[in-house]
Amino acid sequence: MSTTRAAPASSGRRAAAGRHGPGTDPDDRRLSWRDRLYRFDMRYMPYVLIAPFFLIFLVFGLFPLVFNGVVALRNYRLDDPTLTGWAGLANFRQLFGDEDFWNALYNTFGIFLLSSVPQLLLALIVASLLNRRLRAQTWWRVGVLLPYVTPIVASTMVFSVFFSRDFGMANWVLGLFGIGDGEPINWRADKLHAWIAIATMVNWKWIGYNALLYLAAMQSIPRDVYEAAAVDGAGPWRQLWRITVPMIQPVIVFTVILSTIGGFQLFIEPMLFDLNAQAATGGPDGEWQTIAQLIYKVGWKDLNLGYAAAMSWALFLIILVVAGINTLLTNRLSGGRSR
Amino acid sequence: MKRSWTRWARAVTVGTVGLALVAACSGKSGQDSGAADGQVTLKINFWGDFGLQDLKTTYEAANPNVKIQLNSGEYNAQHEDLQKKLVAGSGAPDIAAIDEGFMVQFRSQSDKFVNLLDKGAGGYESKYLPWKWKQSLSADGKTQIGLGTDVGGLAMCYRTDLFKAAGLPTEPDQVSALWPTWDRFIEVGQEYTGRSNKKFIDAGSNLFNPILGQQPVGFYDQQDQLRMEQGPKIAFDYTIKAIEAGLSANLATFQADWDKGFTSGSFAVLACPAWMLGHIKDTAPGTQGKWDIAAVPGGGGNWGGSFLTIPKQSRHADEAYKLLEWLVQPEQQIEIFKKVGNLPSQPALYSDPAIADFKNPFFSDAPVGQIFPKMAQGLTPQYLGKKNGPTRVAVENVLIRVQNKTLKPEAAWAEAVKEAEKASTS
Repeated sequence: MSTTRAAPASSGRRAAAGRHGPGTDPDDRRLSWRDRLYRFDMRYMPYVLIAPFFLIFLVFGLFPLVFNGVVALRNYRLDDPTLTGWAGLANFRQLFGDEDFWNALYNTFGIFLLSSVPQLLLALIVASLLNRRLRAQTWWRVGVLLPYVTPIVASTMVFSVFFSRDFGMANWVLGLFGIGDGEPINWRADKLHAWIAIATMVNWKWIGYNALLYLAAMQSIPRDVYEAAAVDGAGPWRQLWRITVPMIQPVIVFTVILSTIGGFQLFIEPMLFDLNAQAATGGPDGEWQTIAQLIYKVGWKDLNLGYAAAMSWALFLIILVVAGINTLLTNRLSGGRSR
Repeated sequence: MKRSWTRWARAVTVGTVGLALVAACSGKSGQDSGAADGQVTLKINFWGDFGLQDLKTTYEAANPNVKIQLNSGEYNAQHEDLQKKLVAGSGAPDIAAIDEGFMVQFRSQSDKFVNLLDKGAGGYESKYLPWKWKQSLSADGKTQIGLGTDVGGLAMCYRTDLFKAAGLPTEPDQVSALWPTWDRFIEVGQEYTGRSNKKFIDAGSNLFNPILGQQPVGFYDQQDQLRMEQGPKIAFDYTIKAIEAGLSANLATFQADWDKGFTSGSFAVLACPAWMLGHIKDTAPGTQGKWDIAAVPGGGGNWGGSFLTIPKQSRHADEAYKLLEWLVQPEQQIEIFKKVGNLPSQPALYSDPAIADFKNPFFSDAPVGQIFPKMAQGLTPQYLGKKNGPTRVAVENVLIRVQNKTLKPEAAWAEAVKEAEKASTS
């Protein structure tokens, strides 16, 4: 590919500057200091300005990812320094026969379903309520965001007490309705109750956040569409599903992907819900042990870093697949406008 | 072609410059210990309160060239942090406290610690409780990675008011005489629950662990082979018996319901090491005078206790050892006992009046300076395998499932063996 020579006029030089390699222009010698600075500004400044992000991503994002892949292929035990060397795919093979891993995957999926689906539906309803004319509008909008601002560890600790067996508020409230009168519900004894408790924590935290995202998207929908629908006799519920949801579909897809990623990396809630949090077993029989928790246990409790790294990579792939499926599903369900 | 190449060149140049900038910014992160004027900064990592604050001042006054940096953190976090720093090869403190629960894990990495025998610590062997000395000794007996600070000892704390209401004796001697064995202990529990309609003990695992601790062989034998059929089976059977008799309140220790139980009387008795006294006092201040302390059934016992170690990474190992040696001297150990109640692990100190005559007003003036030393001395040393921690958790989890009624008592032992084997090979 050949480059055209720059015109001698200074305005032409500027215009052509972007297409030139540095230092190839014989006119360079005649450039003033100011011109050089201007040139540097035009050519390199954008790169300099975005460089910090990529550098930080390189150090804290890409490098750990790649290094994790290397560790996954090696024997790497903290309690047995003599056992080193390449393991090939042995760590991944072990994964398929490991019932703990499948149990954790099952738990993660169950909690994900119990949290993401109600969470996004409720967020949608909350957003459409907030989108109406309300008294003290700002107050409500800030209010729904409060759980999101609360530190996750703090709220989980409170919830953990809330779901205590003997003196927990949850059992007290249920007791008012006559549920669990004879024997209080032990939230940590079986899968279903533990999942519900953890999903409640997740929902509480994220409904407001998603609602605000939806609300922002809803406000860009022109009013006349609703007016036309109202003239045609569509009620609020029908308007929500027929107009709002299809029109904010990109945001819905975005929140679905985000909550998929978040749901599959669920760690703090199950970890601190456990009475014996330090063991990281997620209940006496792994009732609510998520994959992220299992990775932590294998890595820092069993001190088997190679296997933990293999699990992390498996989790990465699973998230990719599930997020892909969810995107497809959401695209179909929420109106299916092809783009 | 040229165009795309230059674009690359640009990106790479900018990237390199940027990296250099980052490197320049972080270049200054070297250790600031050991400054030019011969000053040495010693960092000590521990958890909770080791009673070191006043000792630090005393030592610094006597050794003007030494600065001590106390770094108290959370119990588990400190141990995990130490493990990470040992693997990373840098960042570990000059002196790291290690609890006996984590000692096995670190003892097996004895090459990462300064061998205190090389520093002349061998002379202290005779001063320590024999099992305490052995706990931090490497398997081949050639490397001593730490010197003991405190031991827990073990006794039974019980609520005198609840015992009285159930028609049981309340005087410590009479209570101790009630349960010379664990069989008798369970019978007393049945009597109590029968009369009061309340639970007797806090949790099955808090019965299992003290009984297991009294067996000659724990989960693992000296060859690190899992031995479930001996000690663990005995402790497990007693625990299941107690659970089936309805004695356990099925609480998880150090959790909200458990803490609440101290005041509400969810349980009447619990296994109680020396450091637990402070916890009860802090959690249930309103129960002052309602507690007393009796002997543990079946003889001695221990729960918890710590060591001070010097990671090899320390650049001031000699100064660190000097400080460590000073800290375990009788005067300092007694100072710590007075301050926070941690019981020293050197038996000679138990006859010291400061300890021997100490009575705890919160626990009906129980002579704790007599009770706990006796228990600590009565203990048979038990070998803890490398996988002791995870194995214990696995078996405790089986007990919790029995308490939760999600596992039948008859099937529990087979499940416990299965889970223990899994933990031992994980």
